[in-house]
Amino acid sequence: MTTAPALELVTVTAGYGDNPIVREFSARLAPGSITTLIGGNGAGKSTLLRAIYGTNRMFGGQIVFQGETIERLPPWERLKRGIGFVPQGRCNFPAMSVAENLKMGCYTLPAAKHAVAIDRVMASFPMLRAKAKIDAGNLSGGEQQILEMAMVLLVEPSLLLLDEPSLGLSPKMQGDVFATVQRIAALGVTVLIVEQNVRGALLISDRALVMEQGRLFMEGPAKEVRTDPRIRQAYLGGNIQQTAA
Amino acid sequence: MTIDAVYLLQLTLNGITLGLLYALIAVGLSLIFGVMEIINFAHGELLMLGAFAMAFALPVTGLLYWPAMAAAVLCTMVAGFVVYETLLVRLKTDEFERSILITLGLSIVLIHVMQYFFTATPRIIDTQYGFDGVDIGSIRITWTRVIGAVAALVAFAGLYLILRFTQFGRAMRAIAQNREAALMVGIRPRVVARNAVVLAAGLCGLAGAAIAPIQLVTPYMGQFLIFKAFALVIIGGLGNIPGAVIAAIALGLIENWIGGFFTIAWQDASVFVIMIVVLFLRPDGLFKRGGMRVG
Repeated sequence: MTTAPALELVTVTAGYGDNPIVREFSARLAPGSITTLIGGNGAGKSTLLRAIYGTNRMFGGQIVFQGETIERLPPWERLKRGIGFVPQGRCNFPAMSVAENLKMGCYTLPAAKHAVAIDRVMASFPMLRAKAKIDAGNLSGGEQQILEMAMVLLVEPSLLLLDEPSLGLSPKMQGDVFATVQRIAALGVTVLIVEQNVRGALLISDRALVMEQGRLFMEGPAKEVRTDPRIRQAYLGGNIQQTAA
Repeated sequence: MTIDAVYLLQLTLNGITLGLLYALIAVGLSLIFGVMEIINFAHGELLMLGAFAMAFALPVTGLLYWPAMAAAVLCTMVAGFVVYETLLVRLKTDEFERSILITLGLSIVLIHVMQYFFTATPRIIDTQYGFDGVDIGSIRITWTRVIGAVAALVAFAGLYLILRFTQFGRAMRAIAQNREAALMVGIRPRVVARNAVVLAAGLCGLAGAAIAPIQLVTPYMGQFLIFKAFALVIIGGLGNIPGAVIAAIALGLIENWIGGFFTIAWQDASVFVIMIVVLFLRPDGLFKRGGMRVG
């Protein structure tokens, strides 16, 4: 990696309460790249994303974002600096309309910028304009996922952390979500994604990080990782080429 | 028993005004519950502080109602701020039991501190309006009741506008609906919780100031109100603000009707009998639950 990394994790140890789950995890993400974080259940993938956004406990290590150490900053300060995080599961305001959800996405922006930002994401995701008055809780799973990404994209983050964005979606909607992630990265946003659909995620990723029991087990270009026999055995359970075709 | 239509109408009007004031308390309780997931058992004492503030402000303002009411609201908002910053701010989201002990303890301390300084003797509060009122046919309703009801309605309208159309208010609904999503969009939970407590305390102060000239003011006046308000919040569908308002007005009416025709002992018991029956029939309350719905 020759350019300065968008995000650098230096021996990050993080978890909940008194239990560290991620242990001494180090990695660097190149600007504008898509990186998939792979690992079994309980490996600490979500914990790592939460540690980067600041919603759990850091036990040690450093998180360097655009040259600044941020591990002591609260989540809203990290968001202001350009880190967006879409957590796993439904993460919107179900009893508010789509338009109100987007307004909430503008929470850290000055009021004068709200309309422009909302117009911009509605132009990217026309579904949001069409369903602006509908309560978020009444959207389909895929639409809610798009809404949640749009809520974070309103602040134009330079790093986007996505936790299981395709969970519970139909194969068609999963494809739409992955295509959206690619579109976001094409704008220069660095993406770190945790996905149960490892195959789909690796196909759109530049690099992959493999995590086991809270530690970095393997890393490399996505292409190499998805052809690695150990990874295919553990996470893909079949021939990746077939699925890609 | 014969029911006189005029008497019934009089009870109904009194019931609606009392219900609106109950609603102010229930809505505040609902706001705090929505944002912090705690029941503020010291909520009734905020009302009592508002009533005492009204009682002490009136002589200073020369019995002028509105400036005294404004002072009472401001006073309880400051009290709410202090309570949040000294006690509630320390609560974590999963410390419901601790929140009960802290707020219940605070309630007891406030009652006894007020009793120590101002005695338990009930006070009758006079305002510029005295017992003047408006006569509609043979029905009479005092100005203090009319103004109390109007002030409550204005407060609800204001609260609706705040929760619906400002980021300040939307953030409260946001936290009530999804805490993690609130963090995702950069909301600072403690700032929003503090705002909610101060706003709820202000509503309580308004209720206290409005009730002061209608009922007797004592350090104990808020004690039973909290249980009634809690019942209303549950009957209205936990976290449903219009639900709590409707339940409160219904309660005010039922209380006045029952109090008007039966002995006073039935009045308080009736609320809880109704709560138990409602929860048997509809365990989630009468209206849709959660999310701090405003419409």
